[in-house]
Amino acid sequence: MANAAVTTASPVRAWVQEKIFLGMTVKEYVRSLATPANVVLGGLAAMGIALMVYRFAVGLGATTNLSQYSPWGIWIGFDMMTGIVLAAGGFTLATTVHLFGLHAYHPIVRPALLTAFLGYMLAVVGLIADLGRPWNMVFIFVRPGTTSALFEVACCVALYSSVLFLEFLLPTTEWLGLKRIRGVLMKIMLPLTILSVVFSTMHQSALGSLFLLAPGKLHPLWYTKFIFIFFFISAVMAGISMVLFEGSLSHKAFASRITSHFDVDRLQIGLARAGAIIFFAYFFLKLQGVVDNHAWGHILTGWGAWWAVEMLGFVLLPALLFAYGARNMNVKFVRIGSVLGVLGIALNRLNVSVIAFNWKLPSAVRYVPSLMEVGVSVGLVALGVVAFRFIVNRMPILGEHSSYRGSEY
Amino acid sequence: MTHEFLSLYAAKNAEYLLAVGYMVAFIGWWKFVNGGKRAVMEARAEAETPKAKHAAAPAKQPEAHGWFEIPTGVWLHPGHTWARAADDGSVTVGVDDFAQKLVGGVAQIALPKPGAPVAQGVPAIALAAGEKAVPMLSPVDGVVSEVNSKLAEDPTLLSEPYTQGWLFKVRPARLQANTRQLMEGETARAWLDNAAASLAARLSPELGHVLQDGGAPVSGIAQELEPERWDALARKYFLT
Repeated sequence: MANAAVTTASPVRAWVQEKIFLGMTVKEYVRSLATPANVVLGGLAAMGIALMVYRFAVGLGATTNLSQYSPWGIWIGFDMMTGIVLAAGGFTLATTVHLFGLHAYHPIVRPALLTAFLGYMLAVVGLIADLGRPWNMVFIFVRPGTTSALFEVACCVALYSSVLFLEFLLPTTEWLGLKRIRGVLMKIMLPLTILSVVFSTMHQSALGSLFLLAPGKLHPLWYTKFIFIFFFISAVMAGISMVLFEGSLSHKAFASRITSHFDVDRLQIGLARAGAIIFFAYFFLKLQGVVDNHAWGHILTGWGAWWAVEMLGFVLLPALLFAYGARNMNVKFVRIGSVLGVLGIALNRLNVSVIAFNWKLPSAVRYVPSLMEVGVSVGLVALGVVAFRFIVNRMPILGEHSSYRGSEY
Repeated sequence: MTHEFLSLYAAKNAEYLLAVGYMVAFIGWWKFVNGGKRAVMEARAEAETPKAKHAAAPAKQPEAHGWFEIPTGVWLHPGHTWARAADDGSVTVGVDDFAQKLVGGVAQIALPKPGAPVAQGVPAIALAAGEKAVPMLSPVDGVVSEVNSKLAEDPTLLSEPYTQGWLFKVRPARLQANTRQLMEGETARAWLDNAAASLAARLSPELGHVLQDGGAPVSGIAQELEPERWDALARKYFLT
């Protein structure tokens, strides 16, 4: 019996060693993790998890600066709103490659989908931290409030997260060698891609529609009855910026994982060309929104200056950098533009949902996030980076699996 | 409502003006974004090969096919290094035909010392020519057991990259896991042809006269192509 136990245990151990510990022993693996960057990331992620546990133990009042005046803090404004919009690279790239047929961009679809999947997962965690009582979530579907914008948001998050999970299963099955399940997934990938576009279009814009519920609360420079259109267009902008930003980082950090040879600079310049056009169009549409909303009078106020910072520094400037980079085949400008693009979209979502929301309130009762709120948000981002690295180091995300080279998805 | 200083009609006028202004500005913007270096390069390539406009793209692939050699039984790393397992459990490492032809005329090869650890995807080798050096990645994890000392005396041995030009031998740490990230057989050959096609696109029209007759590339292509920045070009292909 003892012998049987040994023979059955050793393949499992070998499997775990190869798949989880990258072929190293546990001791070697732990030693390989001891780098300054890992220690910092691990520490931040652990802090985030500890603060989450504390929040569920003692409640929102003890951990956040939320109030009846400001019920939405950075867990909504940053984790939820920004997390979701930065995940838009998944559907943007999937549409570009699988629906529009621009197959040259195929090598960067999987990292974009992984970023999207992790972005949604972390957004959901942030949302649960804000809402509390996660066991009540099931009632969204048991007793749906179909007239509520929040119902559409909840529906789309749940459905699109499921689609992203299925799309993410494809590299997982390749990693684990589950050929039959992979075969089934391959058959449903095209419908899944179409669903991902439908859900994302509805969902990214529905997050903007939320603000139609409170027209007086959001500053007129940001509020317009077309805000849902702006949310969708800026989601495509965020998707392109995030794919460029994440692609530049991961192409350097995980060079050894890249098995297919492609000119990443050329792909990035192509994306920047699209980015330049969309950012430019968005800039003018936002101006149109201000005119339509009769909000010109606010331009020369302090709020106007803050609005100009967002529009000039984080919309027009990235547009110029993308255009200049694409025109001169200079990928450095493109990468700087992508950083500004990502920051700009995050700033826009924070402006809409936190900073310029409740703008008429006296400063004494205005919302400033507590350290614990910031800690949870930072911890979630660190957790996302750790998860991204863990997955990329194991699964065929940046490169193709040797058994499935040339795979369409 | 103190800020609603525009009347309804004035606001509509402003909207129309903005829309027309946007459309006019967009024409200039579109031209700016799609013009520049890329357009000039495309126009030049077209001007220099007027007859081959339609045939150029499909003709390039067969031309590049088979430029670079790879024997069977060799695993190829995307950074243009190779690994080959021996019966004694050791793994021999070298640079591929593409790398030696791209860099060419190597004056010095920096190799890790015996006993030094190497890791897949981490720089372990450096090829130096002139004042510049280009690092290359190790294809496997392990500890160096032996280095090819003949290379230090005669770097030209690198022109036979899979035989006399091997670089070092390794006691592999996790060969099975490493080989999943490497290519072999037809996959490696196809990938190398693909890299050749990508290089051919760069060479034309700069080195067109060398290659249009179907001849294989000469040694030291990177230095021919970009004398000042050949190391940057090589790094791009070597993923360093």
